[in-house]
Amino acid sequence: MDTAAAGAVTEAAAIEARGIAASCNHFGFCTSTCPTYALTHEENESPRGRIALIGAMLESGAAPDPRTVAHIDSCLSCLACTSVCAMKVDYMHLIDHARSHVERHYRRPLADRLLRRFVAQTISRPGLLRAALTLARPARAFRRLLPGRLGPMLELLPRRSPGGADIAPGIHPAVAQRRQRVALLAGCAQRTLAPQINTATVSLLTRLGCEVVIPEGAGCCGSLELHMGRGRGARRSALRNIQAWLAAAQSGLDAILINASGCGTTVKDYHHLFEHDPSWAGEARRISSLALDVSEFLARIGLGATVSRPYRVAYHDACSLRNGQRVTRQPRELLRAAGYEVVDVPEGHFCCGSAGTYNLLNPGKARLLGERKGRHVDSSGAEVLAVGNIGCMSQLSNYTRMPIVHTVELLDWATGGARPPSLAGLPPPAGAGLRASPGEGASAAAGGVGIW
Amino acid sequence: MVNPSGGTPAAVDPGRFFEAVTRELGAAAVDTTAEARRRYGENTMPGGERAVLGVLFPGSSADVQIIVRAANRYRVPVYPISAGNNIGLGSRSPVRDGQVVVDLGWRMSRILEVNEELGYAVIEPGVTFQMLHDELVRLGDRLMVSATSGPPLGSVLGNALDKGAGYGPHFDHFGTLCGLEVVLGNGEVIRTGEAALQQGPAGNSHVSRYSFGPVLDGLFAQSNYGIVTRATVWLLPRPPAIESFHFVFQRDADLGAIIDLIRPLKLSGFVPTLFRVCNDLYAAGTEEPSPEYAATKGRTRISDAARAALRERHGLGAWQVSGAFYGASAASMAPMINRVRAHFAQIDGCRFVSHEEARHVPPLAIAIDSMSGRPGSAELGLLRWRPGGGNTWFTPGTSMSGRQALALDRLGRETYDASGMDYIIMHVAGARFARSLHVLVFNRGDPDENRRADECYRELTRRYAELGIGVGRAPIDYHEEHMSRLMPAFRATGQAIKRALDPNGIISPGRYGLL
Repeated sequence: MDTAAAGAVTEAAAIEARGIAASCNHFGFCTSTCPTYALTHEENESPRGRIALIGAMLESGAAPDPRTVAHIDSCLSCLACTSVCAMKVDYMHLIDHARSHVERHYRRPLADRLLRRFVAQTISRPGLLRAALTLARPARAFRRLLPGRLGPMLELLPRRSPGGADIAPGIHPAVAQRRQRVALLAGCAQRTLAPQINTATVSLLTRLGCEVVIPEGAGCCGSLELHMGRGRGARRSALRNIQAWLAAAQSGLDAILINASGCGTTVKDYHHLFEHDPSWAGEARRISSLALDVSEFLARIGLGATVSRPYRVAYHDACSLRNGQRVTRQPRELLRAAGYEVVDVPEGHFCCGSAGTYNLLNPGKARLLGERKGRHVDSSGAEVLAVGNIGCMSQLSNYTRMPIVHTVELLDWATGGARPPSLAGLPPPAGAGLRASPGEGASAAAGGVGIW
Repeated sequence: MVNPSGGTPAAVDPGRFFEAVTRELGAAAVDTTAEARRRYGENTMPGGERAVLGVLFPGSSADVQIIVRAANRYRVPVYPISAGNNIGLGSRSPVRDGQVVVDLGWRMSRILEVNEELGYAVIEPGVTFQMLHDELVRLGDRLMVSATSGPPLGSVLGNALDKGAGYGPHFDHFGTLCGLEVVLGNGEVIRTGEAALQQGPAGNSHVSRYSFGPVLDGLFAQSNYGIVTRATVWLLPRPPAIESFHFVFQRDADLGAIIDLIRPLKLSGFVPTLFRVCNDLYAAGTEEPSPEYAATKGRTRISDAARAALRERHGLGAWQVSGAFYGASAASMAPMINRVRAHFAQIDGCRFVSHEEARHVPPLAIAIDSMSGRPGSAELGLLRWRPGGGNTWFTPGTSMSGRQALALDRLGRETYDASGMDYIIMHVAGARFARSLHVLVFNRGDPDENRRADECYRELTRRYAELGIGVGRAPIDYHEEHMSRLMPAFRATGQAIKRALDPNGIISPGRYGLL
């Protein structure tokens, strides 16, 4: 895109953002659902307060006020606010636009700039991330001596090198007869932090009759840079993926599957990212229309035969899946269909504090939220925690001792795949039916209070 | 139009009051920033925002006592709120200007006990429907909260004390409270029922409302005599299965027959839930904004043709009726569903919508959730029916006589039409009485429309009062109006109690028309 076209995109986005900010009626339902407001009870730490600040920032010709920037930075982008907003304020695009505006018009302190650049450039590149983890692991012992946010950042490092190899790009043929052909976004950080997720996904999908394509050119979805206000970088990543998937689609594609829900929200929104770019708007729309969370797709095609291991599984709603994509029913139904007993984690509308790079850039609040979520996870009485997003898995591993798996790992195991590595040594299920499933009625085993 | 500053004695010394509270409770318990003062004064009323002096966040009954004593000392009026989600009735905003909001929702949001054997929970004012629901699910989902269809993060206690209601057998939320703890306006703490016993453990305080002495609980429903800081709420066992049923009717005039058919089902107790009877705009308005507002600029009501198109788009009728059975299984309830189905088939054009089908019709799924004790936010969509954020609720009722219900329906439509408002209504029907929730959604940014909304409310109040009908809950703009329509001796008695329990009038002056 040339400079003039980029300017036009920026201006169109600014007009859109001002409209979004003006659509807030200040009802304030969002405040009660906002994790940072719940922690601080400070108006400017709520979506309503941030909307007002962003509106004022966009109207002003001046450089953003550092306090406004701090409140924008403090937002998790968990989108819990959007789940209760009566006016359906498009907060997701507003906060992204605000971050982009800050990035263009505000000069951060040097240490902040360096840290953000390091995070943006390392996490989205699997090779660099792997190297950084290797170098950083020995430094973990000295984390308390490190200045600023470096110490807490090291706290988040996986304690062990992940087991298993990164799955290779290419075509993974269906076992037996091919029923569907799908592309899988292998992602970036997930490939390094938890490669077993992609392995289990491919194993499960191919067993269910899907040919799985992992295009060589596809990589980071762009969300990491997008949520840091680096729209151009995000569009570059997105464009690489669009081109790779379009090439794959020449042989037919039934869906593009994403198994990291943070990425899924962004891919489903590629159409918005390119809506003012006439060269790619149509293709981006096509890609978004094919994008599905892996659980949505599996619910559509069914699991087939399963081996029931009735573990009590607490299902944690990743914000990007619950609020960004409104996918809550399918993962639970799939886990139940696979024979697991599913319970909810209390305060499910609250973010765990992961939120992309939030726990790296805002470790204080992220820790408070992680501890809060960890207590709720532990209180569920479950034996296993299932999650649909690598970010939440990494964050929660610091705040609960419960083994954590991706939902597809459990589904793969139940349909003949390997036992998830993090469940090695897990004792047999304690017993099914002790907890209810939150449909309309109680489970039969939950009785004892009334007679019907 | 309301005069928010009328009738409130000016705070004598707010500066020293805030200093005193800060000294005793810490700076984190006091917020006097401009942002907080502005937000806590916002509401959706035609009368506009209220001027708030500051906001306090107590963490315990003892903190509330400290605040109330300081308020008495410095003559500063305080206005307690629980979760602050009282939408359409005042939000967080005081009735009048110049008060300090005491927000109990942040730090007094503990679930102190859940007793699954006896079916109750002991809670603080900040406990929301969602929080209580989540905790009950965590414990095994054996009990259920009586949900409203309002904000999930609304306060259970706040709703009950304002005489809010749900849809199940425990619909009378105030009626399921027990053992209130209250900081009175004079700073004393009392507990009601057997919780008032001076010695011994809790005993029966969570399970017996009526013990020795006067039943004081009622003094704290829709009053400003004290600040309730905790209470027991009774909970219903969650049945193994809940099977809802829904009917769609085509004509506005079907309401009379609908009410007459619901009555025997409730008088005999055949159906355990209340019935939701929503008109087309109430149901479809949760899904989309007015399709005609841009053209009419809100000067006239929505046309009949647009109403018909809305109904068509959403698979709805002029009226939607929903109820539910609780039982051992769907199969065990099938004969009851069939019985109800045959019953409503007496009305020409009645269309049955099954439980499974209704799950996929969002306006009907709201009924399933609320009758199943699952809080949901879908109904909040009604607030964007018209732009501009104006919203009030007029809440009279009708006896369960079809003749009366139909006559009132015509009166309501006429009054709305005359003001250019869109007639949005839901009746929540029991055996003898249905509460009739009339929703006014209007553009506060348009002075003419704002004025018409205000006039419409006042005209409804006047015309209903002429028929001997009052309201249940009321928007803060109209507390004085409604109190002024009660007999003078009633008001004088209310004021006498106020003087006894809150001699300096420091708790929520003006709320419910009591100073």
